[in-house]
Amino acid sequence: MGKTKEYIKIAIRSLRRRPVRSWLTMVGVVIGVFLIISLLSLSEGIKGAMMDQLNMMGNDLIIIMPGEITDITTMMAGGLELTEDDIEAVRKAEGVETIVPMNYKAEAVRHEGRVKTILINGVSFEYGLELLRNDMGLQLTDGRWPIPGKKEVIVAKVVPEDIFPGMEVGDEISVRGKKFDVVGILKSLGNKQDDSTIYMDLDLFADVTGERSGAKMIMAKVTPGYSVDNVVENIKDNLNESRKRRRGEDLPSFSVLSSEKILDIVGNVMALVQVAIFGFASIAIVVGGIGIMNTMYTSVHERIREIGIMKAVGAKGRTITILFLIESGFFGLFGGLGGIVLGLGVAKLAEFAVQTSAGFYLKASMSPFLILFGLAFSFLIGCIAGYLPSRSASKLKPVDALRYE
Amino acid sequence: MAEELIKVEDVWKTYKLGEIDLTVLKGVSLVINKGSFVAIMGPSGSGKSTLLHIVGALDVPSKGKVFLEGKEISELPEDDLAQIRGRKIGFVFQQFNLLHNLTALENVMLPMTFQGIPEKERMERAKELLTDFGLEKRFFHKPGELSGGERQRIAIARALSNDPEIIVADEPTGNLDSTTGEKIMDIFIDLHRNQKKTIIVVTHDPHIADYTEETINIMDGQIIHNHLEKEAAEEKILWERQKNT
Repeated sequence: MGKTKEYIKIAIRSLRRRPVRSWLTMVGVVIGVFLIISLLSLSEGIKGAMMDQLNMMGNDLIIIMPGEITDITTMMAGGLELTEDDIEAVRKAEGVETIVPMNYKAEAVRHEGRVKTILINGVSFEYGLELLRNDMGLQLTDGRWPIPGKKEVIVAKVVPEDIFPGMEVGDEISVRGKKFDVVGILKSLGNKQDDSTIYMDLDLFADVTGERSGAKMIMAKVTPGYSVDNVVENIKDNLNESRKRRRGEDLPSFSVLSSEKILDIVGNVMALVQVAIFGFASIAIVVGGIGIMNTMYTSVHERIREIGIMKAVGAKGRTITILFLIESGFFGLFGGLGGIVLGLGVAKLAEFAVQTSAGFYLKASMSPFLILFGLAFSFLIGCIAGYLPSRSASKLKPVDALRYE
Repeated sequence: MAEELIKVEDVWKTYKLGEIDLTVLKGVSLVINKGSFVAIMGPSGSGKSTLLHIVGALDVPSKGKVFLEGKEISELPEDDLAQIRGRKIGFVFQQFNLLHNLTALENVMLPMTFQGIPEKERMERAKELLTDFGLEKRFFHKPGELSGGERQRIAIARALSNDPEIIVADEPTGNLDSTTGEKIMDIFIDLHRNQKKTIIVVTHDPHIADYTEETINIMDGQIIHNHLEKEAAEEKILWERQKNT
């Protein structure tokens, strides 16, 4: 141990002898580690936020949406709807206990003279309220749940906070001239988009918006005792059957997903994103490593005489290797440290910026594992980069090294 | 009968300088006894430094054998030689060869670090040695802040740190003025007399040779044993120079 301590001291002295070069060498690693840490912690945060939300969903829930989930363009284009026939087909599928068709539309909402456009969710309160509470994690902070059939709505958290500041339970809102009572205010669901909506009974929603038939999404609850995957298949079969009968279509343009499957998809997509981030940032670190190697070769060359002296007074080849490896390892380690500090700082800034402007409760994830990994990885890169220069230093013959001017 | 410490047998050393082979030592044999004080003298380019390096286990001969305490060291791998140098041989160089970014104390401690001596012991020993040489106020100075004489005393302290049997010095006064040089030589004499160290000094200064008990003259890679041989060698050199011009 005494030896290592002394070697570390010697290595640090050497680093400090050429401060500018040492700093520049470290910057290379700092950039790479900074990229890895900031991007990974942000993507981890995004993943965490999405997973949290998805996890609120019960695992006996199946979601049926129009369009192929793998075909992003049709999904994004929107406008696709599930027809009444589709809803019937889902309802009749074996193992489906209840279904809740949902629809949504942005409408101008008036409250005490103020008018704002808000997304209104149309949900059958009769069948769906329980599901919303138990499986989607909706909770009230104020007021009560609405009574099905009455002109009552519940509003999500952001509505009384930002959209209509001062709104209270008991207030009245109007949509297309029809009046509704606000009977409850919801707890946050974890993202601003979901927290900026109004929930309305589906029948009233149809009346108000004119979207009389069909739904944009159906949630189906599996009867206890049935396997979720089997029920997913049953629903698919039923939908295919009914569509074939009606229009002779045989291309399925709907997606039937269990909550588990959705978690899988999100998890996979995020994992892919993270692998890509890691790949690109690694290239940056490797470039930093090449910088370290270059510096180390220069350093060995400059210190040939010093190496000769150390060998003359009893240093073995291995000792010289260790000395230089510690030095290059430090380049990596300090570079990594700088990158982590910078990366976490930027991730925090991004988190703050996103929360204040973009309406997404992003939390940059800074797991100790990520930090430790960043440090270990950069130290390792430093050591690998320093290996060849160290070897060349250790192989110098003492007499030649001493004679070197 | 004196005890043989170092024995050199028909040693040749050839360097490759690009295409040309340069033979620096041409069949040198000598014996250095334990506790002796030997000067190796000769003009520059005579091979005296090369001989010193081979005697000091810093280099190996191209041909021939070197024995240290009866054990052949001429074919040992570099790491084994490093071990021998660290424990048994202390080096003092003309250019001092201290590490510039280490303090006086750290420079003296360095050879002990390589031998794995615990820090406390290293520190004590280094302070003791530096104090012996009147450098107690220079512990934390770096070589750049010190005079030539002070630097050479640090170098001697470093050479003594592992208490080696042999001190090998390559023109130790070459970079010093005559007064300082004399003081340095006094240290060597003292080490020889009072600590019974075996000291081998390379020099081309005949005054220094006066201090030593034995002088090995080397010329053109060969040891000159008497006046006749010396004259013959000198003539040969002169003749070769004339031939070349």
